[in-house]
Amino acid sequence: MMEEAASQLERDHVHSVYDKIAPYFNDSRYKAWPKVRQFLLDLPPGSIVADIGCGNGKYLHINKEVFKLGCDVCRPLVDFAWSQGHEVQMCDGLRLPYRDGCFDAVLSIAVIHHFSTKERRIRAIKEMARTLRVGGRIMIYVWAMEQKRRKFEKQDIFVPWNPNPHLSSAFNRDDTKPRRRAAAQSVSEAIDNTENYRKVRSTSSVADEEDVTQTVPQQRTQRLWFFSRSLDSVFDFGSLAISWPSSRDLRHLSSATGENEGNKPNQRARGRGLIKQVSSFFSPPSVIGSEEDVFDSDTDLQKDPNDPRGPSNPTNNNGKENQGVSVSLAQECGSLALPDLISLQQENLRQSEDQSVREPIGTGQHEGTQSPEEQVEVSCLRYYHVFREGELAELIEHNVEELHVTQNYFDHANWCVVAEKVQLWKI
Amino acid sequence: MKLLTHNMLTSHVKGVTKGYPLLIKATEVKVNEVDFNPKFVCRMIPKLEWSALVQAADQLGHREDLPGELVPDYEKNEDFLRKVHRVLLEVEVIEGCLQCPESGREFPISRGIPNMLLNEDEA
Repeated sequence: MMEEAASQLERDHVHSVYDKIAPYFNDSRYKAWPKVRQFLLDLPPGSIVADIGCGNGKYLHINKEVFKLGCDVCRPLVDFAWSQGHEVQMCDGLRLPYRDGCFDAVLSIAVIHHFSTKERRIRAIKEMARTLRVGGRIMIYVWAMEQKRRKFEKQDIFVPWNPNPHLSSAFNRDDTKPRRRAAAQSVSEAIDNTENYRKVRSTSSVADEEDVTQTVPQQRTQRLWFFSRSLDSVFDFGSLAISWPSSRDLRHLSSATGENEGNKPNQRARGRGLIKQVSSFFSPPSVIGSEEDVFDSDTDLQKDPNDPRGPSNPTNNNGKENQGVSVSLAQECGSLALPDLISLQQENLRQSEDQSVREPIGTGQHEGTQSPEEQVEVSCLRYYHVFREGELAELIEHNVEELHVTQNYFDHANWCVVAEKVQLWKI
Repeated sequence: MKLLTHNMLTSHVKGVTKGYPLLIKATEVKVNEVDFNPKFVCRMIPKLEWSALVQAADQLGHREDLPGELVPDYEKNEDFLRKVHRVLLEVEVIEGCLQCPESGREFPISRGIPNMLLNEDEA
């Protein structure tokens, strides 16, 4: 079922990734977004606020006059928040363990973009609305598809975790700034021990980028993005491509990761397993039989994504339509004048009509096998559904009648909505 | 887990309609010292389910002489407010579990953190 696929995707590419990278969040680089801080400071004394998806609790110390509690699925992050003296629980955003109408305010900062279907995103918002009292307010921040100088090409993406922002700054004579800006969202998780303030973990964007420019000499590196069709449209899919850059290219990215040191065969297997797992949402595992297969030209399949091992489902053989589910890797090459959203395997795709991918130059995509370091990177891919302008407000207006949108704005790399819980009268 | 938090928590197991309040079975309880802010306590009181608070304090053996019902004019009653302050903010469950009153399902509390995650079949 779609629900299981969605749940699995989130387990693999949200929950387990945060479990792994949690230690990197608890550093000095992360500060609170000013507007979120202000939202908290504006609350009347004696308010009760819930930070749903609180992560390491970066917002829980703001405003001593209100009672704050936080929750998250990630145990290591929640443990850290507790160690800072905060009231925190483990729970799932789709099933909040709080009674109806008990909160005066709710925060959802960079959380719901991790839900992999529209339906789940709506359910998450409805759950939060349920716990709000009438008149209470919710503030939601999600990653924006539109960044200041560019946009993500697709809305459903996998973003690799990069613990070291310095290596991740793309160097490009032609087009340095925009590239780094788009890439900056994963720079946000970077560790920078020289700086001593905290930042929202997943939406650093502008601020991070500026910091990196100032403090770090530019280094040449690669940026990797996976783009996939949303699970919502998975039944339309026709083709699949997974491409992989050369091992040389990836070495830069992962060299800083401490965990590369040990257990390489394990990581290799795990990474391969993950590629298979990710791709299995969109095609049967037989497509990805080996690493060499990844580079094969014909990976176009008509198959029910929810039944990868079963026979072809005829209803999905919409050959004509051929809306590709393309899980493609976009590589940002420092020396190339490329937009950041390109597919290495564009020539190998049986293109769907709205694929606007371009071929990278000289990336050596057929080079050799992956190094173990590369495999580690695969396992730290986080799934995001980035939002278009107006999408979040629209989502609420059309699906969550108990919330009334009062503010809707763009804040750095995020779309933000503030909404008020209203009383619904049922006749 | 403080009792102010507990007052908000409910069982959300599928099919349960009377999941509140959760019963507390504590194996380790701490009492901390927290700055007394009477205004803060005053403002919290109307937001509480009072009987759930009393029941919880009782289960932890920390009820002392907290009244079963709210006293009138509590805003000016510093003695009362101090008692409430203690029970709401100073008493803390470090280890134990929270039990759904209807289904009996137990949610563990470890290192001060209640784990309210449900299994696939409960959600």
